[in-house]
Formats: sequence, C-alpha cells, structure tokens
Amino acid sequence: MAQSAEPLISIEHVEKVYHRDQIEIPVLNDIHLDIPEGEYVALMGPSGSGKTTLLNLIAGIDQPTRGRIVVAGRDIATLSQTELASWRSHTIGFIFQLYNLLPVLTAYENVELPLLLTRLKKAERRKHVETALSIVGLSDRMDHYPRQLSGGQEQRVAIARAIVSDPTILVADEPTGDLDARSGDEILELLRRLNEEFGKTIVMVTHDPRAASRAHRMIHLDKGILHADERTETGATRPV
Amino acid sequence: MKYLGLIWRNVFRKKMRTFLTTSSIILVLVLIVILASLLQAMQADPSGGRGANRLVVQHATGLGNFLPLSQRQRIEQIPGVVAVSPETWFGGVYKDDRPENWIGQLTCDPDIYFDKIFDDATIDPKVNAEWKATRNGFVAGETIAKKFQWKKGDHIILKGTYIPLNPDLVYVGSYNAGDESNIFFHNEFLNQSQWFGANKYTGLYYLKVDSGESVPRVAAAIDKMFENSDAPTKTLTEKQFQLQFMEMMGNVKFLINGISLIILFAVTLIVANTVAMSARERITEISVMRTLGFRRGHILGFILSESVLMSLLGGILGVVIAMVLIPLLKMAGNKTSISVWLINFHVSWDTLVMAFVISVGVGILAGFIPAIRSSQRKIVDGLRQVV
Repeated sequence: MAQSAEPLISIEHVEKVYHRDQIEIPVLNDIHLDIPEGEYVALMGPSGSGKTTLLNLIAGIDQPTRGRIVVAGRDIATLSQTELASWRSHTIGFIFQLYNLLPVLTAYENVELPLLLTRLKKAERRKHVETALSIVGLSDRMDHYPRQLSGGQEQRVAIARAIVSDPTILVADEPTGDLDARSGDEILELLRRLNEEFGKTIVMVTHDPRAASRAHRMIHLDKGILHADERTETGATRPV
Repeated sequence: MKYLGLIWRNVFRKKMRTFLTTSSIILVLVLIVILASLLQAMQADPSGGRGANRLVVQHATGLGNFLPLSQRQRIEQIPGVVAVSPETWFGGVYKDDRPENWIGQLTCDPDIYFDKIFDDATIDPKVNAEWKATRNGFVAGETIAKKFQWKKGDHIILKGTYIPLNPDLVYVGSYNAGDESNIFFHNEFLNQSQWFGANKYTGLYYLKVDSGESVPRVAAAIDKMFENSDAPTKTLTEKQFQLQFMEMMGNVKFLINGISLIILFAVTLIVANTVAMSARERITEISVMRTLGFRRGHILGFILSESVLMSLLGGILGVVIAMVLIPLLKMAGNKTSISVWLINFHVSWDTLVMAFVISVGVGILAGFIPAIRSSQRKIVDGLRQVV
C-alpha cells in the first residue's frame, strides 16, 4: 500500500499527568511519535508504562496535559467534548480487551449502535451492519445476545462494531488479552486483514510479543518514556 | 425514535427490580387518582352548574338551629327572588341504622319546588301533579327509587330521630337530577303534626333568584334584613352550601394533599434509587457508548428517558387500575350516607392530566441526578471501572 508523505497520526512532545488527591502522577513524558496511514503499530510495555493512556489520547477519549496530537491534520487536543465525540464517531474504531458489548442488545444491534449517530436510514444501516458482520464472519449470529456467544465471537462482534462506520483508525486495547490462543489468533488474523485489505491504520496495545509480531512496528514504552521503536519482520518487507 | 429500543431494553434490564419499582409507582398513582377524584367529587356542584341561581338560607349559627317560617314572606318580597321554599331535613331512619338503608329525607313546598326552584330536575308532570295532591306522598331520586325497588303506591315508614314523628309515606314517582340520593315530602306533613316546630319553623329556605347577577345582591339583602332579629341568617350559594358539609369533616383537602405529597416524595426516592443503581451498574457501558461517539447530552437523555418511561408506565397502569376501582368504590359508597359526595366520583380529564404530569415529574426528578452524574463522568474513569 502506498504511504502518504504526512503521517496520519502525529504525536508531538506529549505529556500526561494525572492528579490523585494532591499528588501529581506523571504517566507520559515527552512522547514524540508519527504513525503513517495504513500502518499497524503495536504498543508494548510493562503494566503502568503508559501504553493504554497513549492509546486513549490517540483515540480522543482523554486529553494530553501538554503537547499536540494531530490526526489527519487536525489537532484533537483543541477540540471541545462535543467536537471530540463527533470526531471519534467518524475517525476511530475502538476495540476493548473485554469486548464491552451491551448485554441488552443483540450482535446486530450492538454493531448498529455507532450508526444510530449518523443520518443513515434503517435500510442503509442494515446494509452496513450486515457487511461488517460478514467481514468478521458472524452473519449467522446477528440475532444472538452477547451471553449466547463465545469470547472470540464477542470480540469479533466488537470489531464489527468498530469498523461499521468505516473509521480511518482502529485502536485496540489488548484485544486478545482475554481470549484463548486459538481465538486470539483468529482476532489477530482479522486485524491483519483489516489492515491489509481495508487499509485501516491500527494501533494496538499488547503484552503479547506474538501478537505484536503481527504488527509492522513495535513501540516500547516504560515509565511513560518511549524506549524503542522497531520494525517487525512483518513490517520489514513493507515500504516505508 | 431510533433510540427507543435501547431505552426500553435498559428499563427492563433487571425485570424484578423494574417490576417492584413500577409497582410502587402504580400503587401511588392508584391512591392519588382515587383521592384526587374523591376530592373533586366532594367539591363538585351536584347540579353541574345548573343551580347557580339558587340560594340556601340557613341560621347564622349553623344548621342546628331552625329559622321562623315568618321570614319566608319577607324574603319573597326582595327584588330578584323568584320563589322560596322552606326545607327541613327530617333525618329519620328507614328500615334500620345500616348505612345501605340511608336516605336523604327532606320536606319542602311541593307546589313550587320542582316548578320554580329545582327546575333543572326532570320530573314527569303527572307525577309532579299527583305528588302535589297527595299530602303523604313522596318523590324519590331515580337512583334511590331503583335501589329500593319502590313501585307507585308503596308505603314506607320513617322513624323520626330529632323530630318525634314516624311518617307513613306513599311513593308517587321519581325525578332525575345530579343528586338522586334524596326523597322529598310535604312540609304540610310536618305542620300538621305534634312537632314543636309545626307551623313555626323550617330547617332552611331554598330559593331561586332571577339571574346570576342577582345572587350576591339578594344574599346580602337577606342577611342584612335579619341581622338584628332573633334568627339571623347566613345565605349561601348552593355550591357553598354543599362545601360546608365537607368543611365539617375538617380540612380534608389539606389532609389529602398532604398525604399525596408525602407518598409522592417517597416514590420519587424509590425511583431515584432504582435509576441510580441501574446507572451505576452501567458505568463502563456508558463510557463505551461515549467512546463510540455518543455525546454527554445523549447519555443524559437516555438515563432521563429510562426514568420517565418507567415512571410513565407505572402512572398509566395506576390510572387504569384507579379507573376500574372508582366505579366499584362508587357502587359500594352509594349504599352509605356519603353517596351524595360520590355523584361526581369519576376520573376527570383534570385528574388524568395531573397523573400524567406527576408521572413525568417523578421520572424527571428521580432521574436527574443519576443522569447528570453519568453524563459528566470522564470516559477514561468509566472504562477504568473494569480494566
């Protein structure tokens, strides 16, 4: 896939400090990172290293204390809560470790959820949902409730929900962390397809080196500092 | 509308909890609708406004004292007065003391009563004429006549209580009116008895004036005329006269409103607790929805809508149950001495609107704080609940 000259995600001198009571807890320290469009990046590091915080900042669900996060030329740190919500619905697909499907909704309704924010008519929404579910291989389970699905199937529904509005970026927070090895492999394969066949830029947090090896790049964080940024074997063959 | 399915599912997420909370709203609404309808019925004008030109003159100190019959002629001479009938509450016992045998028993002047004063009542002219001609005859409201299955010519004997007289009366026929709980018989029946008040006293005067404009002037003129006499008067409109019976029971309205407010407050707390629990259980889900792009306003709207929907469902069911219960209560009450207050005992449009406003109001009040808290929570804090 051809790469554009400007990075899709540009993180410039980002710092994040949490406040707990009177105590300041620095989580990210002067992070500088560019992610080109179409890249598949794995964020790795020990617990508390700040990788989920960095993912949340990229996804626009948290805001940096200092620095800029520019996505497709837009500094998302300057957006209001309402603008951010709208931006997320168009730009970001979020995949959680624990799937986080709404238990009262069927697989179909869970995937349809982000589309309720659009002006699409019911028939158009149906078309989008069916396409997303067919991509993840769950067309036959659309009327099932989350409790009627296995962990791997739930995560695939969550991925369908993440891609149904055709976002540019997929962010995944340990998407295989709660799955057995076989289901985990299926999810990683699905993410690879979404990256290669559908051109989605993917940023994935993982503890699992095997999962990270599927990405093009591995970025290591420790104590809020970016320690290493290396190309994987998968990424080595990819034009930069 | 596209969010209705999601809101509905969340309301019924924990069926038992929703059932119990909705049941508490149902109970409260049943109680409030019945009490409000009863209060309205007690305050309603039994003539439905058709008695606006009627006045009741009673002794200034209350209904316990009689008025001299000599006042009648002087009242009749006041400009604007169309007709005056002395009327006495006989208050006897029919059959026995059981409430289902209670009848309102009144004496009046039959020559003018249905012709000039109670002229909005419907009575067959033949029945009216026969009643006028029958000294011991009585007419009864159709409801009460049907209840006791009286047929023309039937005799009833009333046992006097404060008037020592046991009249043997013959049924002539019935009349139709808003209040059909009474029987009427001749004043002359009392006047020809050994009662101390015979030809001297009456319980009160019922009179008709020529127009609504004359009502305050005539009322003031009557009271002024007798203010320095041995029997000062208090002249009331028909509606005021009815309302004073309610006041005799104490401040019923205050009591009913007070009870209603307390139970409303209690049910608001119950619903608020349910909504708060439901929102607390869904902190992560709500954060996930916001991650997907739902705004704070969406979340606020969802939680409030769930609260209002649950409250409204309870309200609707409560009103329906009250509408079924009220005719049954009315049927039971009609057998007792309070039947006169149950004439207008039904669920009015006003009460329906009030029930709707209460249901929505309870929903909004109960859902407001959980909705605000859920919508204001930071997404990352919400996601961290399980991560």
